[in-house]
Amino acid sequence: MKLFRHDLHALSGAYALDALDQGAESERFARHLNRCPSCAGEVREFREVATALAFAATTDPPPELRDRVLAAAALTRQLPPNVTSRARSHRARVRARVPWVPWLSGVVATAAVVVAVLFGFAQAHSEQELNQARAQNEAIALVLSAPQAKLLTHATTRGGVATVVLAADRHEMVVTTNGLPALPAGKVYQLWLIGTTKTVSAGLLPTATSGQTGPVLASGVVKGDKLGLTVEPAPGRAQPTTTPILALPLPV
Amino acid sequence: MNPSDSDASRFRSVPTDRRGERDLDDLLVHVARGDQSAFETLYDRLAGPVYGVIRRVLRDPSQSEEVAQEVLLEVWRTAARFDPALGGAATWVMTIAHRRAIDRVRSTMAAAEREHKIAEVDTPHDEVAEAVEASLDAERVRRCLGGLTEIQREAITLAYYGGHSYRQVAEMLKVTLGAVKTRIRDGLIRLRDCLAVS
Repeated sequence: MKLFRHDLHALSGAYALDALDQGAESERFARHLNRCPSCAGEVREFREVATALAFAATTDPPPELRDRVLAAAALTRQLPPNVTSRARSHRARVRARVPWVPWLSGVVATAAVVVAVLFGFAQAHSEQELNQARAQNEAIALVLSAPQAKLLTHATTRGGVATVVLAADRHEMVVTTNGLPALPAGKVYQLWLIGTTKTVSAGLLPTATSGQTGPVLASGVVKGDKLGLTVEPAPGRAQPTTTPILALPLPV
Repeated sequence: MNPSDSDASRFRSVPTDRRGERDLDDLLVHVARGDQSAFETLYDRLAGPVYGVIRRVLRDPSQSEEVAQEVLLEVWRTAARFDPALGGAATWVMTIAHRRAIDRVRSTMAAAEREHKIAEVDTPHDEVAEAVEASLDAERVRRCLGGLTEIQREAITLAYYGGHSYRQVAEMLKVTLGAVKTRIRDGLIRLRDCLAVS
């Protein structure tokens, strides 16, 4: 059906309220906006009205949301502006070889960890390191793209935040941290799966870059486990020797 | 009110957050440079309306929380793409929030659509009344909504807060598609003028 220009104009209100059918109709109107400055102006005004409607609906979100959002933001790399003329550094070249992971757009909740993974790539300087990063990335990608994956974040008692993506059905999780205090030489941060009957090591946190530690993949998570974090003498211990600075229940 | 506001173009004068519209733009510019404390402030200013509008569309608290988190992270991630020439920061953020809520509702609603439709058609007035108790700005919005014809108000409320497409709204209100388009547009024009002068 061919719409007359007049009919298209009349859609400005529905368009501004996101009430056009997604797809062809909405796209056709968007194209029309490019050719019709007065329509574009009207849509802008209507969006301001819609913003007033949104403010009128103000509702306090649950307080945990704040911590989660801020922690995730701290780990999430920002997009550059559309136009960029930054010179290509070595880092940029390494990063350019990494295929952008397709599930990124769909699983924004896990974007934080994805970014951490890509940082891992950016820091890989040799082919071997890059291959290792790639292999680890594949394992981590399976956790991040698990349909039931949950994002958990929690502050430690020493400051800083741990972010966990838990794929309960795979019994696996990916852990990153941000803002943990730097440790003196000879000490490491060690992750633990603290179970009801036994505690096992879940690996060491890698050295932080800009306060952020790259992703650690841990397997064998079972019901009742908590994620623990302790400071241990390098290169880690078989059992924790200090009080955990984090004990995060894992909903498996 | 900031005296320089009178210089702003007309669409900028719809008072969504009159005290701080300009600060919000500045904040977003800082956020785009990776300033985490600016993002915290932005969160404190906008998380309420973001969560509120998503909650109104989705109703389910845990889904709303999830979508709100996505939206706020999206704001952080794409702040550099914000263009003040195209409108204020609050509008940029709320447009993302509403669109994400709609995406979610259209993807999950197909199955439950019929039940929803029947349940919601009776409630638009209550919904507005509930919504507008939230703040002083809300009082002005309520007054302006009160100045619309009933069908304009219902069409806008069902579309924006209810997350329905204008086709669905036409069915629900038992009017033609053409009538719904016109009522929504006329209603928004009236709201725009009412909000700009009050």
